[in-house]
Amino acid sequence: MVFVLGIDIGSAQSKGVILDDQGSLGSFECASGGDFKLTAERMREELLSRAGRSVDDISRTVATGYGSKLVIFADEIKSDIVCLAKGVSSQLPTARTVIDIGDLYTKVLRTDGNGSVHSFILSGKCAGGSGRILQVIARVLQVRVDEIGELSLKSKKRVEFNTGCAVFAETEAISRLSQEVTKEDLLAGLHRALAAQINSLAERIGVEQEVAMVGGGARDAGLVQALKEIRGHDILVPPNPYMTAALGAAIIARESLTIQD
Amino acid sequence: MAEEQKEAKPKKRMTATKAAASIGPMVKEFITGTLQAKAEGKYKVAYTFIVCHHEEIFRALDVIPVWTENFAGICGAKRDAERFLQRAESLGFSRSLCTYALCGIGFDQWREELGQMPPEAPWGGQVRPDFMISSGQILCDPRSKWYQASQQFMPDVPIYNIDLPYPLFQENRDHREVLGYYHQYIVKQLRGLVAFLEEQTKKKMDYDRLRELVNLSDRTWNLIDETYKLRRAAPCPMGTGDAMNTMVPINFMMATQKAYDFFVDLKKELEEKIARGEGEVENEKYRLMWGGGLPAWYALNDFNYFNSKGASFPVETTYRMVAPLNEMDLPETKDPIEHLAWRWLGYWTFWYDKAKKRPGSEPDVERLINWIEEYKIDGVVMHEAFSCRTWHVGLIWQLHQLAKIYKPIPVYMIGKGGQKEKVYRELPSLILESDIIDITSYSEVDTRNKIDAFVETLESIQSNRAT
Repeated sequence: MVFVLGIDIGSAQSKGVILDDQGSLGSFECASGGDFKLTAERMREELLSRAGRSVDDISRTVATGYGSKLVIFADEIKSDIVCLAKGVSSQLPTARTVIDIGDLYTKVLRTDGNGSVHSFILSGKCAGGSGRILQVIARVLQVRVDEIGELSLKSKKRVEFNTGCAVFAETEAISRLSQEVTKEDLLAGLHRALAAQINSLAERIGVEQEVAMVGGGARDAGLVQALKEIRGHDILVPPNPYMTAALGAAIIARESLTIQD
Repeated sequence: MAEEQKEAKPKKRMTATKAAASIGPMVKEFITGTLQAKAEGKYKVAYTFIVCHHEEIFRALDVIPVWTENFAGICGAKRDAERFLQRAESLGFSRSLCTYALCGIGFDQWREELGQMPPEAPWGGQVRPDFMISSGQILCDPRSKWYQASQQFMPDVPIYNIDLPYPLFQENRDHREVLGYYHQYIVKQLRGLVAFLEEQTKKKMDYDRLRELVNLSDRTWNLIDETYKLRRAAPCPMGTGDAMNTMVPINFMMATQKAYDFFVDLKKELEEKIARGEGEVENEKYRLMWGGGLPAWYALNDFNYFNSKGASFPVETTYRMVAPLNEMDLPETKDPIEHLAWRWLGYWTFWYDKAKKRPGSEPDVERLINWIEEYKIDGVVMHEAFSCRTWHVGLIWQLHQLAKIYKPIPVYMIGKGGQKEKVYRELPSLILESDIIDITSYSEVDTRNKIDAFVETLESIQSNRAT
């Protein structure tokens, strides 16, 4: 029996998965905080505790994500693009286009269903089009990030949200609230604006169906719905979409052990 | 006035060839040479733009060209452009305009305000011109507007605008039908330039000298083509990082013996490296094409980063501003002005016939396809520099066209022995995003994360093929 870890240290949230030969033994998510090394240690401890294992039981660890280079106990570092493809192919093998909405970037990649990446594109340095805008708006509306999806789906009146910029979004939201626009309508408008940006990014490398949406943004049902409406087709969302890169990293760790054998 | 601070000096990029390493001092010598020429007052100095293919006319009349895009690039490479960009912004110019132009305008205004070079101007600064020669060439609007903006601060400096069109590609039309009209028009434009320069320099054009210089350029064009084709070797002896240096003699020193001699030396150096089996990268794993876009001049080290991952760049579309003249079928003429016009048209229509043979192709895409095959390319990298609309437009479309040919599935082709062979033609691509000289648009961490992911993609494709 082998045990492997996949650890994804993202810019906002860190995620981890522990696998054995058969499947997942547990997962864990926490805020990345300001010390990625410490977060990685904590992640490992928590995963081992959930699986009832010790450090010595772990055969291999693969790290990914923005802070991956600070996972000093990792045996290998892989890019999140490769990990996402691997993670999605294990859960949704029919997906050919993967859209990952992270806090810092939105990434779109084309894959073959076996975990190989054919091409990919990332949003630019600007936070517009990434998941960060959802956090900004949640703070302005004084709601939790995990609430905004459901609120958005309750929208009754179409509101056009004009900006794609994470900074201007705050200003626009405040001015809309002063016009007595409801939170629900405002969020639905924001989701449409964000989905349009994401779709535009995806079109740059070409979209092949089926399309899967992962990352923290895929937990937002309002955003998923907005993207479905813009694209005019269904979008697949795996269970625990925010864990996809960590899961992919763990699968890569397990596969490399098989190859070594 | 905006804060005027210099950024941290970048780490020097490692070159693969001695020839590329010699370029820095050469450019410095060129810049200081323009300052000295101006101080001595013996020669006239003209602001002008690269890729106009008529510098022979300047040199025949002893006019020293000052390549303003080059100076902006130097400011960018030295990470010293921001203070000039901020100055242009404070004058009311938007950051989303061409940042070469912004840098030049900011510098010119500052120099004119002070009556001397701005403090610590890169390599002594950009000399005040006697006149300015602009040319939009139907591809770049700042090339027409930049000098008009600079003239606000130098109202005594005249501008001459030369128009250099070429027939656009039409799939169902032979461009030769209209080539004669374009030729007549360009000849008139060039003769107009000669008349303007004669008036400014108080000299008469020596057409024998011009003919000699045109002949020298022609020979240099062919030599460059031969030299760059040596990069088809595996491992590749010289990459795009070096080509961003060796673009200097192509673009700023044409019609000089020095440019010709430079390529004689480079050709010899590459031949020797090939004979020794020496590549840009020690263990070449991936061969990439720089498929479009001007480079981020402040981040040329990224090429070294690619190299550290086993990736070499045997070919690039950027700055390869010459084509083999013997493949152009140019009409014979003894008039050097007429020849310059034919050569101009020959260069811009070089890929037209080939593109027509492939349904759905376009000259820019055809060039990519040809070089992907010739140089045995594994992946394409492009750079979207936000402030350069000329290069931006069409890059994504070109990648989409390529994806129709280089599909992510194996295809069967008839091999040399007449046997059916399984061929993998998949070609991943990477789009980098920042700017030519505006460093605020660039993130080294993000760029290198993208490069890491791209290299892992290449690795995964290679290992999949192997299994």
